[in-house]
Amino acid sequence: MAQPLVKKDDDRDDEAEYSPFLGIEKGAVLQEARIFNDPQLDPRRCSQVITKLLYLLNQGESFTKVEATEVFFAVTKLFQSKDIGLRRMVYLMIKELSPSADEVIIVTSSLMRDMNSKTDMYRANAIRVLCRITDGTLLTQIERYLKQAIVDKNPVVASAALVSGFHLLQTNPEIVKRWSNEVQEAVQSRAALVQFHALALLHQIRQNDRLAVSKLVTSLTRGTVRSPLAQCLLIRYTSQVIRESSNVQNGDRPFYDYLEGCLRHKAEMVIFEAARAITELSGVTSRELTPAITVLQLFLSSSKPVLRFAAVRTLNKVAMTHPMAVTNCNIDMESLISDQNRSIATLAITTLLKTGNESSVDRLMKQITNFMSDIADEFKIVVVEAIRSLCLKFPLKYRSLMNFLSNILREEGGFEYKKAIVDSIVFLIRDIPDAKESGLLHLCEFIEDCEFTYLSTQILHFLGIEGPKTSDPSKYIRYIYNRVILENATVRASAVSTLAKFGAMVDSLKPRIFVLLRRCLFDSDDEVRDRATLYLNTLGGDGTVVETDKDVKDFLFGSLDIPLVNLETSLKNYEPSEKPFDISSVPREVKSQPLAEKKAPGKKPTGLGAPPPGPTSAIDAYEKLLSSIPEFSSFGKLFKSSAPVELTEAETEYAVNVVKHIFDRHVVFQYNCTNTIPEQMLENVIVIVDASEAEEFSEVASKPLRSLPYDTPGQTFVAFEKPEGVPAVGKFSNMLRFIVKEVDPSTGEAEDDGVEDEYQLEDLEVLAADYMLKVGVSNFKNAWDSMDPDTERVDEYGLGPRESLAEAVSAVISLLGMQPCEGTESIPSNSRSHTCLLSGVYIGNVKVLVRLSFGIDAQREVAMKLAVRSDDEAVSDAIHEIVASG
Amino acid sequence: MLLAVLFANSEGNILVERFNGVPAEERLHWRSFLVKLGADNLKGVKNEELLVACHKSVYIVYTVLGDVSIFVVGKDAYDELALAEVIFVITSAVKDVCGKPPTERLFLDKYGKICLCLDEIVWKGLLENTEKDRIKRLIRLKPPTEV
Repeated sequence: MAQPLVKKDDDRDDEAEYSPFLGIEKGAVLQEARIFNDPQLDPRRCSQVITKLLYLLNQGESFTKVEATEVFFAVTKLFQSKDIGLRRMVYLMIKELSPSADEVIIVTSSLMRDMNSKTDMYRANAIRVLCRITDGTLLTQIERYLKQAIVDKNPVVASAALVSGFHLLQTNPEIVKRWSNEVQEAVQSRAALVQFHALALLHQIRQNDRLAVSKLVTSLTRGTVRSPLAQCLLIRYTSQVIRESSNVQNGDRPFYDYLEGCLRHKAEMVIFEAARAITELSGVTSRELTPAITVLQLFLSSSKPVLRFAAVRTLNKVAMTHPMAVTNCNIDMESLISDQNRSIATLAITTLLKTGNESSVDRLMKQITNFMSDIADEFKIVVVEAIRSLCLKFPLKYRSLMNFLSNILREEGGFEYKKAIVDSIVFLIRDIPDAKESGLLHLCEFIEDCEFTYLSTQILHFLGIEGPKTSDPSKYIRYIYNRVILENATVRASAVSTLAKFGAMVDSLKPRIFVLLRRCLFDSDDEVRDRATLYLNTLGGDGTVVETDKDVKDFLFGSLDIPLVNLETSLKNYEPSEKPFDISSVPREVKSQPLAEKKAPGKKPTGLGAPPPGPTSAIDAYEKLLSSIPEFSSFGKLFKSSAPVELTEAETEYAVNVVKHIFDRHVVFQYNCTNTIPEQMLENVIVIVDASEAEEFSEVASKPLRSLPYDTPGQTFVAFEKPEGVPAVGKFSNMLRFIVKEVDPSTGEAEDDGVEDEYQLEDLEVLAADYMLKVGVSNFKNAWDSMDPDTERVDEYGLGPRESLAEAVSAVISLLGMQPCEGTESIPSNSRSHTCLLSGVYIGNVKVLVRLSFGIDAQREVAMKLAVRSDDEAVSDAIHEIVASG
Repeated sequence: MLLAVLFANSEGNILVERFNGVPAEERLHWRSFLVKLGADNLKGVKNEELLVACHKSVYIVYTVLGDVSIFVVGKDAYDELALAEVIFVITSAVKDVCGKPPTERLFLDKYGKICLCLDEIVWKGLLENTEKDRIKRLIRLKPPTEV
């Protein structure tokens, strides 16, 4: 009895150990394929050889042209066999080999015969193979058969033809579009899959015909759709129709009842599709959202990960636009933080961070802390970014959020992750004054054990700017000097610069800084020694402790106002001689646009994308650019630069946008121009501005652009004087004037002679909001109470009928150009009243706080109460004037 | 579009891979990404329990069946739910062909049939057939029972 058992075990071992394809080799298999040419075919062996060929192909092995042709011709011989299993393999093999056009002809007749065979299954497969390998000419020959096949009573044949049609539509759309009657008939088929395939093809054929799609949707939503897959397609097409139909806000939304009905379908995929469609409706109301959110909430506790993922992914999207609608799911969402699937857990957390209120922040942070240790860096970055925006939303909670960030900063992690954390801390320090000291100390501790040179140098630079302004700058010195002792040369050099900045700003620290800098004179690296020598000399390290000159401070803290590219070229061209290199000889003209404008608006990194760039702001880049132009250097400090305003339509010959730079007594328009015609070179480009509708402005200077070659953006500037401190407004019309020269496309050289030409641009307005800086406050109530109540001005305004309360609120915010505080810019849908808190700095550096109370009645009439406090009563009045005239 | 269907053994060696609309130079990246995803997450997972992931706008649903891990990758209309449907069809067809959740050897023994099943299920990136009984008949060139 024992023996057979042992034998069985042996068998099993064999099974586990040996693969049927062990030692398979292409050459040998190709040799074996010669049996396809035998007069007496052995179907079983032939099938085995085809399987081996398939295995080779699926392993990524490729056949040379000669090999493929040889195998293909051999395979065609197998059509002689009547063996059904072998024939099925032959169909697959031909598709896998995808023969070239001149070879196809060999099998065409065999396939055509099969296509008209009495055996349904031969027909279906022959159609699929033919459509895979065919080209346009053959298609016209077989079109008749394909049309018949679409309405064949065998669903397999019909599906084969329909799916083939779907692929052929890419290459031969004209032919496939002629089949729409047959496809229309197939949509009514009783076979579920045929209906699914037909619906997809019909929509694809008619996708550009809105009326046809609308009719299709109308008839099918009333009729019966047999498969859940087809139902999903129908829901997608329905939402397309809803999107494209004109906005019917007053009455009921068309097809909403159908979508809502689908929420009760028995197939999960249909329920999801309907829920997603509802959540993505434009201007969806909370009444419309509720049933969709309810079903999604149920799926959050499903046992299947796919359903949980789908539900949380959808709710995450909803939370971006309607955070209040998702708050009911918060409890279920919190239990997902411990979900084994990290994608689900991350989505749950980021959703919670969007929907949570101030009181739940601490509890949430506790849960996230446990979760962070076991997810990958890419997920952590998503979480860190979500926390950054949460902190800006609830500035009062900065302590726990900052603690969280500093804790995770100490843990293991890659460069991108650490950079995201450091960037977030820097953001918080900049936006929340109270967070500054603790944030700086966290950064100091981080560089004590930081393996990334880039991050260390960035932090040291930031410390040099912010550290000296704190209450006790001396406590940072130890951390900085430790870098000089412990780090590599790059970090050491940065640390020396940072020390010098402390020395320049804090007189009491100067003697000690000198001692430290002198020690650096003996460093092994020449850059470190050079810097130490330079700073000792500029700061007066000869022993006398005097107040640092303005020039030295400018040198230390000012930005290098020369484009690096130009400096590099000049240095390369400099020949060593008695005459020292003169930095003022470096040209300051900027060839390309500053970085800030290259970023397309609205293209924020999402999901696993790269984190936003570090702490350089657009205004720094502009300030650098403007101060490099001698005509504008006397205008003083730049108050504000607007976002670029387009002055041309998209895809015109010349693309121009303008940035408004506001100074105390001046306004500079920076026109960013791009020439999109390769055959043209523009010279002496200038914008002629007519300011007749802007009485308070008078033109004082302009700076033409010398040349504007194809696709290389350049800038021209026009400056105006205006009364000091007055928020003058006006309208400006613009005309681009230039000399155009033809460019020889072969050589790329422009002709000598040019013609003067003009190009009309759109008008430009300077608005009251241009004189307001968006500056937030961490605690609005404290800030409000600390301002003199005597400066308060209150008035009421009727805003007339509005689309919604949200629309009215955002209109007033953009009119004033102020920073919404504490998340009050988002309005729960369906609310009838709302209070919005704004903060900003008005021109002349006057702090302004605004409290807006809105109410909407049944006729959608909106009323608003506006209360303003500011450092200057006149400014409070000015804000009321802006609203009254807006 | 269904971008890829991939079968691997427990060591991460590829048994079957089929890509649709994925450029040749990106395939290697996908292959190693999926194998790593499996190695990280599939240990101890029950047969046919579905796992899900997303990478940028692409969704991945994967599972284990016997000694074989199965991955399907899709985008646009082929989101996680559609992929779950696809992988369900694939696992049930493979089980049907092999008679049970396959060992690697059994899978390779039935390799030809499995290729035929895949050919019936996915047609150049589109889902074609969804029922295992029907697929079982189709790969033997038998018409479906409802005809």
